[in-house]
Amino acid sequence: MATIEIKNLQKTYPNNHYAIKGIDVSIQEGEFVVLVGPSGCGKSTLLRMIAGLEDISGGDLFFNEKLMNSVHPKDRNIAMVFQNYALYPHMTVYDNMAFGLKLKKMLKAEIYQRVTDAAETLGLTEYLDRLPKEMSGGQRQRVAIGRAIVRKPDVFLFDEPLSNLDAKLRVQMRTEIKTLHRKLKNTMVYVTHDQIEAMAMGDKIVILKDGVVHQTDSPINLFRHPKNKFVAGFIGSPAMNFVSGEIVKEEGLYFVAQGMKFSIPPPLQVSMERYLGKRVDMGFRPEYVYDKGLEKERRLSTDVEIEILVVENVGSESYNHFRLNGMDTIYSYRSSSSNAHIPGEKLTVGIDLERLHFFDVETEESIL
Amino acid sequence: MRAIKIQKILLFTILSLGAMVYLGPFIFSVIVSFSDNKNLINQPGQIVNSGWTLRNYIYIWKDLPFATWLFNSVVITACQTVTNVFFSALAGFTFAKLEFRGKNLIFGAMLASLMIPGIILIIPKFLIINEFRMINSYPGLILPGMISVVNIFLMKQFFETMPKDLVQAALIDGCNYFQMFWKVFIPNSKPALAAVAIYTFQGTWNEFMWPLIATNTSEMFTLPVGMASLRYELLTDWPAIMAGTILVSIPTLIIFIIFQRYFIQGVASTGGKE
Amino acid sequence: MVSGYGLKIKMKRNSSTKKEQQFWAFTFLFFPLMLLAIFVFIPILFSLGISFFNWELMASQQNFLGVNNYIEIFGDKIFYKAMLNTVLYTIGVVPIQTMLALFLAFVMNQKIRGRVFFRTAFYIPAVTSSVVTSIIFVAIYSKEGLLNSILGNFGFAANDWLTNPHTALISIMMLNIWTTSGYFMVSFLAGLQNIPNSLYEAAKLEGASRRQQFWHITVPMVRPVTYFVVVMSLIGCFQVFDQVFVMSDGGPNNATTTMAYYVYQNAFRYFRLGYGAATAIVLAGIIMIVTVIQKKYFPPNPY
Repeated sequence: MATIEIKNLQKTYPNNHYAIKGIDVSIQEGEFVVLVGPSGCGKSTLLRMIAGLEDISGGDLFFNEKLMNSVHPKDRNIAMVFQNYALYPHMTVYDNMAFGLKLKKMLKAEIYQRVTDAAETLGLTEYLDRLPKEMSGGQRQRVAIGRAIVRKPDVFLFDEPLSNLDAKLRVQMRTEIKTLHRKLKNTMVYVTHDQIEAMAMGDKIVILKDGVVHQTDSPINLFRHPKNKFVAGFIGSPAMNFVSGEIVKEEGLYFVAQGMKFSIPPPLQVSMERYLGKRVDMGFRPEYVYDKGLEKERRLSTDVEIEILVVENVGSESYNHFRLNGMDTIYSYRSSSSNAHIPGEKLTVGIDLERLHFFDVETEESIL
Repeated sequence: MRAIKIQKILLFTILSLGAMVYLGPFIFSVIVSFSDNKNLINQPGQIVNSGWTLRNYIYIWKDLPFATWLFNSVVITACQTVTNVFFSALAGFTFAKLEFRGKNLIFGAMLASLMIPGIILIIPKFLIINEFRMINSYPGLILPGMISVVNIFLMKQFFETMPKDLVQAALIDGCNYFQMFWKVFIPNSKPALAAVAIYTFQGTWNEFMWPLIATNTSEMFTLPVGMASLRYELLTDWPAIMAGTILVSIPTLIIFIIFQRYFIQGVASTGGKE
Repeated sequence: MVSGYGLKIKMKRNSSTKKEQQFWAFTFLFFPLMLLAIFVFIPILFSLGISFFNWELMASQQNFLGVNNYIEIFGDKIFYKAMLNTVLYTIGVVPIQTMLALFLAFVMNQKIRGRVFFRTAFYIPAVTSSVVTSIIFVAIYSKEGLLNSILGNFGFAANDWLTNPHTALISIMMLNIWTTSGYFMVSFLAGLQNIPNSLYEAAKLEGASRRQQFWHITVPMVRPVTYFVVVMSLIGCFQVFDQVFVMSDGGPNNATTTMAYYVYQNAFRYFRLGYGAATAIVLAGIIMIVTVIQKKYFPPNPY
């Protein structure tokens, strides 16, 4: 078990291209940390640097306060699970798991004990003599996890381990990995591009883009208090809706856009003062749009007239897509299926005023 | 339906005639090699009537240094094939999976050397081997064939198809790069290795020009060089010469038939990869 | 340098994996590269050097001749004869061999009984030693040989194919076509099998006949293979040696002296190594020019 301290870590390539531009992350013992971001954000590079598979161009990496920068991967006491499993095709499940231990010259009996234990945990006992090609994707990924477990590593690293699996299996494996984490209580670092997977699994999520950390926080805080427009748009599905508008002052501060006029919630009144007369971006989640005819409890915005364009019914709920007053952007609104809409339907909605987000147009930072 | 059937029959006839043309000379050679009559090479039909004998084979084997040539060919081919495949795989692996300074330069130089016709290498190679005092010796015959750029290129291409994650998994499992090559990559490249090995075997076994130049006494000849010398030594003793050609062809033929799949694969993988 | 992040870059301070890879790469490449240097890279440069000398094996010192070897080549009648023979040989063999190989591959690509047998039959000449096939054909071509007896049945007069200056070269060309067409057939076969079936299905839907499918799908799709086959075949033909050595020794009266054979003759029969090297370089130059022209005007993938 280990703490991981990442200080101003950088990765540059020979053409002076920065893949990682000075990242700070600290990971507690036993924490499940997810690195998430769009492709090319540097999340895999960061993971490989933690593993020692990529050189560190600048900054420091500590495991348990020990500098790891130039320690060989095999001496970092880590284990890694890869996207395409990276099982040795010519070895049986048993040999795949035992290979690293054999190279360490561990006693045969000890190897046997560890491999059979891991196989038991993962339900692989009856497959120990099989070759990887004789197994399904899910089973192969279990073997890859088993190969990691038998090493009894300080840190588990997962590099998009579920992206090659089909949707149903992915959800199942997600739970299995979380259960495993609860059982082993190891420090785990998990890379994915899928924000839903990140939200479902992480104790802590690190959101990366263009080699920079945009926010590090718990899933619920990321959802409720995104630090900037990118995080706000990245987390949540369907994504947050954004409207560009202006701040005006009447008897209080108001946000005005496309004929809509929302009063700024009281906690934000003070900080919004300096945006008076300027443009800001306002964001609202599809979850916090309500049908005015049905919702009476919440403090909603003034009426917004919309016309439904497309309805995606996913069973328990439906996603209604609409346009605002002739704008090109398509917005979405989530309703329960019991309150299903049909395309072409016109209705009046309101947005929960407690759940509005405002962003500086220049910096895209959240206005708090 | 009938048109298709006629077409099939036509195709089959064409192919059968073709097979006759391609196999005929060998059948002719087999028949003559068993012939009792030295003068009858024009009428295979008559040879059939003139009586069969193994005398030609016995003569070739006993009275001519055929066994010596066979031994030389086996030693040279075995040494060259094994070392060539090993070095090609090692170099191919290095170019495919390792990053190092000068990689592109070295690989570029190798590719450029492929453009140079082999004929200009013959004289300098001879002088270099002569300088090493290796003319008419096994090392002189074996060393130049221990490496080939084409094989390195083929192995590189093959190793490139294997995922990079395998390298990383092996590193984390504690392999050094040689263990990674030997315990992870080699066991998974049997088809490619077999194709390259067989390709090399065939080229070495049949190689003529280099052993012709690099040997000067009969006891160092390889089979092709020995056979070529018989052609002028035995003149018109066709049955004996043909017995020799059959003996030379048998090993390649056996290996070809057993490993046909890999031969085809070898040709297919060298082709069209320009 | 990229600025704006306020970073102090400590480059190369700790590139453990890079150094490690560097070490292993050079360990792995040491022997292969040494062999390549001795037997490929150095000889290429060395041959150029030799060609400026009157190089003799036994001499303690070699006489520098400058470009005299090259000047001699341009007045050498046998060299011209060898060049003419080589060009004729190549022009005769390459197109026929390529078309035959494509034809065989096309036929073999159909569903037909005994495919494996036919493929083996066509391929066997290619795996057999060139010396062996040459010797067998010497017997077939000889005056009292099989070819004359077959042609005799149709009333043709016997011809001594290899000692008649008019037929000697053609006879060797026929042998070469026979041996290598099966080899290139396999290349084409692989190319044909790589053509996606959906292309033929799409063409059928649009009403293309089999002939149209052949010319508009098969031929363009195997073009990269054709390019490769023609290059290999050209390089092989320009350097033809084994068959000439075994069958005719360049005779009669240099009717079958090819350039590669002439290189050999000068270097290892007359021991004029410098002159041999110069002829080899001229030959290599011609081959390289031809392949460059081919690449320029008949590229493998014009689309």
